[in-house]
Amino acid sequence: MVVRLGAGGFGAGRLRLSTLPLGTVAWGLVGLLVVVPLANIAIELASADGMQAIRDVFTGRIARNMLWLPLQNTLAIGVVVAVACVALGGLLAWLVTMTDMPLRRTIGFLAAIPFMIPTFSAALSWTVIFGDDRLGPASTGFLHALGVPVPAWLAWGGVPIAAVLIGHLYSICYLMIAAALVLVGRELTDAAEIAGASRWQTLSGILMPVVTPTLVAAGALCFAEAVSSFSAPAILGLPVRFHTLATRAYGAIETGNPERGYVLIATMIIVAAALLAVATLAGRRRRSFATVGGKGGRRIRMTLGPARWPLAIAALAVVLFTTVLPALALLLSSLSAQRGTVFGALTLHYWIGASDPAIAQGQAGILQNPQLVRSFVVTLGIGLATGLVALAAGAVIGAAIHRTQRRWAAAGLRQAAFLPLLVPGIAIGAAFIGFYGAPIGPLPSLYGTPMLIVIAGVAATLPFAVQSVTSALSQISPELEESARVGGAGPLRTWLAVTLPLAFGKLLAGFVLVFVKMVRDLDLVILLYTPQIPLLTVLAFRYASDGFMQFAHAVSVVILVLSVGAHLLANALGRSSQPWLKAPAG
Amino acid sequence: MTDPAIDIRNLVKRFGSTEALAGIDLSVSRGAFCVLLGPSGCGKSTLLRLLAGLEAPSGGGIRLSGRPVADGRAGVTVAASGRNLGMVFQSYALWPHKTVQGNIVWPLKIAGIPPAQRRARVAAVTRMLGIEALQDRFPGELSGGQQQRVAIARAIAPAPDLLLFDEPLSNLDAQLRVEMRSELLRVHRETGATVVYVTHDQIEALTMATWLVVMRDGRIEQQGPPGALIAEPATPFVSTFLGNPPGNLLLAEPADGGWQVNGVACDGLPVADHAGPVQLFYRPERLTLHDQAGNRRIAGRFLEALPIAGRSIVSADGVDGGSLRRLSAIVDQPPPLAYGDPVFLELPDHPDGVFSMTGERLA
Repeated sequence: MVVRLGAGGFGAGRLRLSTLPLGTVAWGLVGLLVVVPLANIAIELASADGMQAIRDVFTGRIARNMLWLPLQNTLAIGVVVAVACVALGGLLAWLVTMTDMPLRRTIGFLAAIPFMIPTFSAALSWTVIFGDDRLGPASTGFLHALGVPVPAWLAWGGVPIAAVLIGHLYSICYLMIAAALVLVGRELTDAAEIAGASRWQTLSGILMPVVTPTLVAAGALCFAEAVSSFSAPAILGLPVRFHTLATRAYGAIETGNPERGYVLIATMIIVAAALLAVATLAGRRRRSFATVGGKGGRRIRMTLGPARWPLAIAALAVVLFTTVLPALALLLSSLSAQRGTVFGALTLHYWIGASDPAIAQGQAGILQNPQLVRSFVVTLGIGLATGLVALAAGAVIGAAIHRTQRRWAAAGLRQAAFLPLLVPGIAIGAAFIGFYGAPIGPLPSLYGTPMLIVIAGVAATLPFAVQSVTSALSQISPELEESARVGGAGPLRTWLAVTLPLAFGKLLAGFVLVFVKMVRDLDLVILLYTPQIPLLTVLAFRYASDGFMQFAHAVSVVILVLSVGAHLLANALGRSSQPWLKAPAG
Repeated sequence: MTDPAIDIRNLVKRFGSTEALAGIDLSVSRGAFCVLLGPSGCGKSTLLRLLAGLEAPSGGGIRLSGRPVADGRAGVTVAASGRNLGMVFQSYALWPHKTVQGNIVWPLKIAGIPPAQRRARVAAVTRMLGIEALQDRFPGELSGGQQQRVAIARAIAPAPDLLLFDEPLSNLDAQLRVEMRSELLRVHRETGATVVYVTHDQIEALTMATWLVVMRDGRIEQQGPPGALIAEPATPFVSTFLGNPPGNLLLAEPADGGWQVNGVACDGLPVADHAGPVQLFYRPERLTLHDQAGNRRIAGRFLEALPIAGRSIVSADGVDGGSLRRLSAIVDQPPPLAYGDPVFLELPDHPDGVFSMTGERLA
């Protein structure tokens, strides 16, 4: 945001920065981070090898297993997850913001947390509970150990993948829909009540249609997230050869068929983008449902009558099952001496034990294990670096969007910067390997360097960084800066004394958000990591693949705590992510 | 004798520990245009919401045309829909996903009115408000004034006995406000409904009301025809709240068998036997301006003069800056004075009202 300093109309006292061709720098950043690596995939596909790969994947002998079945699985999971998330998140949002449900603040607080739990932790916790012994004793879950028969479809494959994704993503729907419901003017529903509308008529005739654009947007977002997820299908699908486009693309690239991987990745992007485009078009006519001023005041909560407690208990069960339960399951598993024995011998070996050849091929507990300690440091370092670089890039791009006079140019820059939202993490990883993994002119290949992971992370988190910078700056009235300038403060002093303190909380929140997205990410880094850069998530994934479940779970607990803690910190810094919880009970 | 359209007895509303309404008694006759006027937070909107049935009273009761609709003790509350009323909100509260026609027709559908009648009602009210051409537009495509008209059309379409307005003009620009005032009076005349209208704008109140209710701190200060409130304010608050410029209120202390106002002797007050200090009310048009001290002349500093309707409103404040508040006088000629010049305001020999320190009117 330094660059914004020169943005005022004053001729004198401008910083040099203002004379930089800001738009050029911004476009350069977006180009290098987003446009070129993605365009490179398209170019690769247009090559002879690429065209051959397209033919193979779409019509060849492998087409059915490579593309059509995974596509079918992906779409089915996407649709089920989107519908279930909107229903569950919407119901919770309505209960928390509009009714007199008991415990609604607790439930509202907990409902925001699943989103902070990494999907791969959630997926691992699913195996801890529902895993069966078809993959050998190492993957046995608690239920199985207790003698409860777990059907195969509940242990592995599409159902658990969808369940884990729903348990993760409904939380986004809850936040989006609750925010929309709170914005619906109370007078809109008052007017319906005076017209004599019943509760149901008010809900279905007024409230639902008014928040429909939000429902559509939330559903589309969940769909896009679900179809692009790699962690959940990798952990819950791969062991039983249940594939989605993401796992197939990963397999193709890992086995030396990058072109085939690119075809699948392009398909994923097109599927996600097509749905988002449809959703945007559908929502266009109704976009401006923002309600006019009116009186805030107390919201009258709908009385649920005798259903109050049953609904509260059901809602509480949902939020506990998706927050406390996975964490507890992972923790308990990491403390179990033997996999699959519930309440059997507990041990801290996997946390603090020294190397013992009798256990896990002599692996020391994760806090004793130099590899893990190093991994922890590397992960934090990469997270911090990504956060800083992303915020700086976000500041340049955000300032350029603000300053660009030509509207279409600003819109174009914004669209380009937000493009990574559409692109699955694994696809960004693939694009960066493809482009920066080979030497470019005099520049060496970045493959195997932490830098590759950092710039890929910056690209993936760019939308969040730009968003947090622009929202932080747009909340500061220009008059605040202008009054300091009129009072004689120079641009730098104005920035230090006015702009920075006012924006600081939000900027820090944006930084923490980027940091945590990096720390808990698996999708993006799964193709980028090398043994020299041991990231925590990859390590946990490797442990799980190799059957060292307790280690995987112990590392997962660490990441989960880190992720939830950082998210809560970001919320506290960004001030009230759920303002409706703080309003006095009406 | 028919029952009054609205009959409110000792109405109390509490939100937690705060008392928004502290015992309201109000009777509004059929066909009246009743305006609830008061500063923000006085409870006027709460009273309107209780009338509408959007909130239940904590005590006391409401009868509409003799029928009890709310009773704080018995906990009886007839729902808003059972009270045969229409309401226009400050934000207009037009449903953004419905067209103009959809907004007007939906309440009629809810009420179970057959389609042919619905069409007739929509046609009638859109004609009355001059919005026939806008029927297929969405609220987001309308100007503020048009939205206002749609909100009124929606409220009157079911032909309610009672029309409630919650500061309906406060989001409009000044010129549109003047226009909509007469528009609302026309709608009132043509529908014959009883109107309760909440505002903090005394011009709206004085121009539109047939029955004016001035509220403060959850209580009614005074009610009656607007002219009566202006002529005989019952409390110091009403005397200084109503009128433009507001009335002058001065503290008078007993001294040497007479009275002293701001250090100036004032004889002949109609409350000679009162033991302690009293508050005197003087209308601005009865104060005169002088450049020298004299009997019943209060020393002040000239603040400003506003030319209005061929005369001038002169404001001054006390020299000592003590108990004396800002004083206003209406004079024929603008005085050749600049800010801060000394000026003397002469009080007439009789005040227009005398209030005790606790606010009762003594004379």
